[in-house]
Amino acid sequence: MGGTSPCASCKLLRRRCAKDCIFAPYFPSDDPHKFAIVHKVFGASNVSKMLQELPIHQRGDAVSSLVYEANARVRDPVYGCVGAISYLQNQVSQLQMQLAVAQAEILCIQMQHEPTMPTHHQIDHHDHEKSLFLHDTLNSIPQYFNFGNSSNVIQDPLKRESLWT
Amino acid sequence: MSNPKRCAACKSLRRRCSKDCVLAPYFPSNDPQRFAYVHRIFGASNISRMLMQIPVDQRAEAADSMSFEAKSRVKDPVYGCVAVIGQLYQQISAVQRELAKTQGQLAIYTAQQEQQMVSTQGYYGEPSWLGGVNAIQPNTFHFNQQSLMDLLRLRDNI
Repeated sequence: MGGTSPCASCKLLRRRCAKDCIFAPYFPSDDPHKFAIVHKVFGASNVSKMLQELPIHQRGDAVSSLVYEANARVRDPVYGCVGAISYLQNQVSQLQMQLAVAQAEILCIQMQHEPTMPTHHQIDHHDHEKSLFLHDTLNSIPQYFNFGNSSNVIQDPLKRESLWT
Repeated sequence: MSNPKRCAACKSLRRRCSKDCVLAPYFPSNDPQRFAYVHRIFGASNISRMLMQIPVDQRAEAADSMSFEAKSRVKDPVYGCVAVIGQLYQQISAVQRELAKTQGQLAIYTAQQEQQMVSTQGYYGEPSWLGGVNAIQPNTFHFNQQSLMDLLRLRDNI
C-alpha cells in the first residue's frame, strides 16, 4: 500500500495522517513553516475546530487569513494584525489629507478664474460637494482604535506582496 | 491565599485564581465574553504563554489586540480581522487613484494659469501689471479663504 507523505500538521504533531485529515489539503508537507506558525499562535486543536465549523469551500481562505494573522502576531507580539490595521488607517488618513490639499488648490485656481464674483452660498455648496468624497471615505470604515506606537510595529505589513501567502 | 474573586479566565476554567494570575489583570470577572472569545480562538494556555513573553507594561495592549482579533474571528470565521486589512488596502488604492487624477488636473490647471499669465504680457514683454491689452483684472472679490488656506498650509507639513 503506497502511502502519501503525511501533511505538515501530522508531521509536526507526530501522528498518522489519515485520508480525511482536515489539515492535509491546506498544510502540505513541503511547507512546514506554515502550519508551525499557525500552531504556535492558535494551537492545532483550535484550528481544527475552526475549520470543522466551516464549509469546505471556505476553508482555504480561512487558513490563509489564519496564517496571515499568525505571521503578524509573531512579527509583532504586542499588536499583531491590529498594528497593521492601525498603520493602514494612518496611511488612509494621510492620503485623504493630500487629496484634500490638492482639491483645495484646484478650487483656488478655479476661483481665481471665475468670471463672476461667487457668493458665500455658492462657495459653501462647492466646498460641500468637494468634501463629500472625503466624508464618504472617512466614514466608510470605522476607526477602530488608536493603539500606541509599538517598537515592533509592522512598517509595511504586506510589503507589496499578495495578501495570501 | 487565593483571590476570593476569580477573574473571568479562572472562572471559565474552573480553577483557583491565584494572586499572581497572569490573566486576571486583563480579563476581569465583569466581562466574561472577552475571555470566552480569546479562549475559543487562541486557547487559554496560548494566551498565557504569549502574555508572559511580553513585558508587563505592554501586556494590556497585547490582551486588547488579542481580544479584538478573537472577537473579529468569532464574528467572521473565514477572514477575521484580516477582512478589515483587505478593505483598508482597497480604500488606499481608491484614494491613491483619486489623488493621482486630482494631481493630474492640478498640473493642467497650473499650466493653463501660467500660459494665461504669459499671454497677457505686453507687446514688448512687459509684465501684465503695466497694463497689457489683456491684463488680468485684480481680484476684487473677497471670500472666506481661511479653510482653503489652512489646507494649503498643511502641504508643507505632509
